[in-house]
Amino acid sequence: MMNMMIGRYVPGNSVIHRMDPRAKLLLVFMYVGIVFLANNSATYAVLTIFTLVLLLLLQVPFSFVIKGLRPILWIVLFTFLLHVFMTKEGAVLYQIGELTIYEGGIRQGIFISLRFLLFILITTWLTISTTPVEVTDAVESLFGPLKRFRVPVHELALMMSISLRFIPTLMEETEKIMKAQAARGVDFYGGPLGERIKAMISLLVPLFIHSFKRAEELAIAMEARGYRGGEGRTKYRLLTWRWFDTCLLVSVLAVAILLFLLRS
Amino acid sequence: MKELALSVKNLSFQYPNQPKESVRNVTFQVRKGEWVALVGHNGSGKSTVAKLLMGLLKAKSGVIKIFDTILNEETIWDIRKRMGIVFQNPDNQFVGTTVQDDVAFGLENNGVPREQMIERVRAAIQQVGMEEFLLKEPHYLSGGQKQRVAIAGIIALQPDLIILDEATSMLDPKGRREVLEAIYNLNIKQNMTVISITHDLEEVVKADKVIVMNEGEVIAEGTPLQIFSLGEKLEEIRLDLPFVMKVRNELKKVGFPLQLNSVTLEELVDELWTLYLNK
Repeated sequence: MMNMMIGRYVPGNSVIHRMDPRAKLLLVFMYVGIVFLANNSATYAVLTIFTLVLLLLLQVPFSFVIKGLRPILWIVLFTFLLHVFMTKEGAVLYQIGELTIYEGGIRQGIFISLRFLLFILITTWLTISTTPVEVTDAVESLFGPLKRFRVPVHELALMMSISLRFIPTLMEETEKIMKAQAARGVDFYGGPLGERIKAMISLLVPLFIHSFKRAEELAIAMEARGYRGGEGRTKYRLLTWRWFDTCLLVSVLAVAILLFLLRS
Repeated sequence: MKELALSVKNLSFQYPNQPKESVRNVTFQVRKGEWVALVGHNGSGKSTVAKLLMGLLKAKSGVIKIFDTILNEETIWDIRKRMGIVFQNPDNQFVGTTVQDDVAFGLENNGVPREQMIERVRAAIQQVGMEEFLLKEPHYLSGGQKQRVAIAGIIALQPDLIILDEATSMLDPKGRREVLEAIYNLNIKQNMTVISITHDLEEVVKADKVIVMNEGEVIAEGTPLQIFSLGEKLEEIRLDLPFVMKVRNELKKVGFPLQLNSVTLEELVDELWTLYLNK
């Protein structure tokens, strides 16, 4: 459960790990845009090769990537089947009773599920190589200009980083409360569904009360340490943009142009 | 006489919807470089005093003076730069995602340039002996380690005064020792003024001065020995004498002619063996 929530960061020292998180975030945004350009075998092949190269640059055992894919594989399969049965284009391949499978259906099924897979792969690429804190820093920096339109960018980023910091703390607390309640006779795992939902209340109420208390104490501690909002604050973490970051973004542009030329 | 670091005069405070004042007419002074312990049972108003000193609560009446500055709405941020406070719960004051981020938090708030920040963060972490944990996340640290990081976060701001608000009460004995050791070093080596708020009289032994509070009022003030000799009066307000003092009192009862004013275990042992030799 923890792994799913914090993402699947794998420590490493590859070129991708050392990239500016802003560049990685921009790359993912651009990538999501250009995936929609692909509409035939050639363009999908280009995209797939590009993605595989990016994943190879991670220098992380491929099993980590696969692990990230496993939970969504059935969704990919479902998308595939949906398209196979619903698309009525091209020559008829099979006919089993009421069900007719068309050539277009198979093609569409493969393309759409591949597109889906590519999306997941690129986000896995990001989460494997980037810590949540780096993502937060990147978001704050990239959305910085929105401050002019009174978007509380700094506050949102701080909220994000505090939430991330408190995930393990709250997990620990959940576990403690569950044990304490189990010792008092609450059964979280057995019994009919209704009973189990009721049991959850005995977990959630103390958890919420403690969280509010924590929030208040944290706010007081922050104020005591001179926190006055984003104005006049300096930053300890520094994001540095290297030439490699520019190179990679240019390569995405190159792929985009290639897709434009190859698409039908 | 050393320069006054803090002077509190006729301080009173009442929480809204409370029938009684939580702090009533409190007056005390702390000199530069002193270690002052503020003791009292739960609800004696000692933590409220800490929050009043930091300007986290607004006093009903009275004057708080930090060095030459009187605490008011205009000076509050300058004063917070000069004082740091460590709270009770180690988790609820850890703001950063890693040790170094948390130590840097206060510096970031005060707009310290990055180059200086790196230097000061490193020095502060070194002072509390947490260098190896620079990049660690809080859930990998013990309570005592988290409190030491909190202290580092305060040292980095180079304050004149540190307040410990029950900072060791949620720690195990080892964590407590680590934290007190770190504070003791600061007090001795850097002449840092320390106000330690606690209900544990064991922690008071090394203090220069002890102020005892009960039901919002200061009821006694003096050296640890003077306070400990109050004996039953302390137990009346539900404070427990340190182990060494209890042993000493019991020994006296059975007829040991203890003369010296030993407060720590070491001193008592010394006194006992010299007594034995002199026989």
